[in-house]
Amino acid sequence: MATPTTTHRSGIVDRIMRDYDAVAARLPDAAVTRAARGRSMHELARLGWPTTRDEQWRYTNLRAFERVAEFAPRVLTPASGDTAALELPPALPGFERLLYIDGVRDVAAARAPTRDTIVPETVWSAEQRLGLLCDMFATDVASLRIRGSSAIEVLFVTSAAAAGAACYPRLQLALEPGSQLQLVERHLGAPEIPTLVCANVAIELGRGAQLTHYRLQQCGVHTVFADTLSAQLTDEASYSVRQVAIGAASARTSAQVQLAGRGAAFSWQAIAVGRAQQVHDTALKVEHRAPDTRTDEVFRGIADEHARIAFSGHIHIAAAAPGADARQSLRGLIEGAGAEIDLRPRLEINTDQVKAQHGATTGALDENLMFYLLARGIDRSTARALLKWAFLGDVLRAIELPQLRSAAEHGAAGQLPDIMAIGALT
Amino acid sequence: MSTDTHPGAGTAAPSALLDIRDLHVKVAGQEVLRGVSLAVGAGEVHAIMGPNGSGKSTLAHVLAGRPGYEIVSGTASFEGRDLLALTPEQRARAGLFLGFQYPVEIPGVNNAYLLKAAVNAARRERGVAELDAFEFLAVVRAKIKLMQIDESFLSRGVNEGFSGGEKKRNEILQMLVLEPKLALLDETDSGLDIDALKVVAHGINTMRAAERAIVLVTHYQRMLDYVVPDYVHVLARGRIARSGDRTLALELEKRGYDWISEQAAA
Repeated sequence: MATPTTTHRSGIVDRIMRDYDAVAARLPDAAVTRAARGRSMHELARLGWPTTRDEQWRYTNLRAFERVAEFAPRVLTPASGDTAALELPPALPGFERLLYIDGVRDVAAARAPTRDTIVPETVWSAEQRLGLLCDMFATDVASLRIRGSSAIEVLFVTSAAAAGAACYPRLQLALEPGSQLQLVERHLGAPEIPTLVCANVAIELGRGAQLTHYRLQQCGVHTVFADTLSAQLTDEASYSVRQVAIGAASARTSAQVQLAGRGAAFSWQAIAVGRAQQVHDTALKVEHRAPDTRTDEVFRGIADEHARIAFSGHIHIAAAAPGADARQSLRGLIEGAGAEIDLRPRLEINTDQVKAQHGATTGALDENLMFYLLARGIDRSTARALLKWAFLGDVLRAIELPQLRSAAEHGAAGQLPDIMAIGALT
Repeated sequence: MSTDTHPGAGTAAPSALLDIRDLHVKVAGQEVLRGVSLAVGAGEVHAIMGPNGSGKSTLAHVLAGRPGYEIVSGTASFEGRDLLALTPEQRARAGLFLGFQYPVEIPGVNNAYLLKAAVNAARRERGVAELDAFEFLAVVRAKIKLMQIDESFLSRGVNEGFSGGEKKRNEILQMLVLEPKLALLDETDSGLDIDALKVVAHGINTMRAAERAIVLVTHYQRMLDYVVPDYVHVLARGRIARSGDRTLALELEKRGYDWISEQAAA
């Protein structure tokens, strides 16, 4: 396909176009149709590459993306099924596992997901434009229609084969009315492999459907990671996200949730723990479009050493959403002298009949709590570790699957070595 | 008890467990303690009373090592050691316990973990073998029963969702488990109904021992009906204005604090 002309071209967009042209003919239609890929490419060209002058991208490590050597995926065909070298986590009891290696389904996986496009093409907003990359380059898709009650784990693993290139995990979910799903979405990667991982997740919840979505981002420390999520909720649907972001050199989450049906409920509980030079940036927008809709948003971030953590939580309550109830609790803990945390709560309310509250605090450990522990004879380093652990506790305890909670706790504690030392993990 | 050169002294200074001499302390540039002297001997129970703002809680927190206070002059020794030179955690491990007026909530750190870590920190300090999980449970179970606390609380976050009374009971439970040499109980009676007060007082009374001292900081005398002190001191305007036995507390109950404050101001 010919590269489109644009008024917002930049060096990186040109490179993306070139990489796309080089690989387009070999990308499978089954993941995304050629026409849809082309539309995404034009949209990216129209929007241009984001800059830190844009409010929604101010804290993203865009340079990390601009340094990516190759945007084209290298792995285009299903993997061999030889997973011995990947050190996969143990299976979750009662969960069906789908395994994607470098963005392509492992052929040995137990179930072949449906191939029909079950979620309509997503229209990404400007703050979600990295989703266009996955639309352009995706090599496969986990496309699932859920009826009844299910428990599914989708593992997206980056292998050595993707080193220096990119992979594009893609997940599409449609929950039929009244269905229930426990979904684990886990991104894993070998620590020494510099790779771009650009994931898209599109979700539709039918009337009364319930989705609990556990998201663990544990990519390797040289990975540049972006995930773009879109969810649509109809009447009485319920969507709960428990997200733990601890991996990658730079990570950006762009999520938009639309509460389009009466009584739809959304809960987002997330932690991000960064150290060294890591950057974790999340932009979450929730739109209340129907009456009696609910949002409960909790974010806890710890930035150690020179890490930077940012969270933008925008809740928009439309005039058509009386009875909406929206809560935001954003807290950041700065642990390193060179660390930075930026929390931006934003409530936009266009109707009178709402309950809304938000709070955002960033700072060091609470001195009152510290003194209480010291006054019990606990040494200072243990007290610090305990309080950091307590800081993350709300969100970690909300992970109801013991095995997954343990994995999340060990992952988070691995970012904060003093916590490992005190043995407070369950 | 001598009140001439060492006002507020309970026993002769050389044998005192806690010996405070002419302690002056500022908070945010304001002198809050203005020459406190007090000696507390092993086996004694002292009550420190006084009107709001007299410096009672400041004294307790300074002794426990809370940051934010400026020691202008004076000394405080604990078993002959310079207490003010120790960090808060060293003071605790040496056997000093502060029961907080407003115990904090620490969700995510469970009570059992905190108690076990605290007990073992003190045992390490004494060169005694640490308790393992089974030994610790055996110790803590008996004390929990005494404080009429449900055992499920051990797995709950520290003071998380506790009522005011439950928090105070938890403070006393911690004291029972830690078995300090000196317990400073800062307004432990505040916010307690009569039943909880009796439970808390019973817990405190079980700690009375020849080798241990207890200092009750309180505004009201009602606690002293249940934990009968050997000595009562009244703190007014940053100094110990008067010391006596428990009849002083009863007199304060009748006359209030104004007359002592006026004397202290004179």
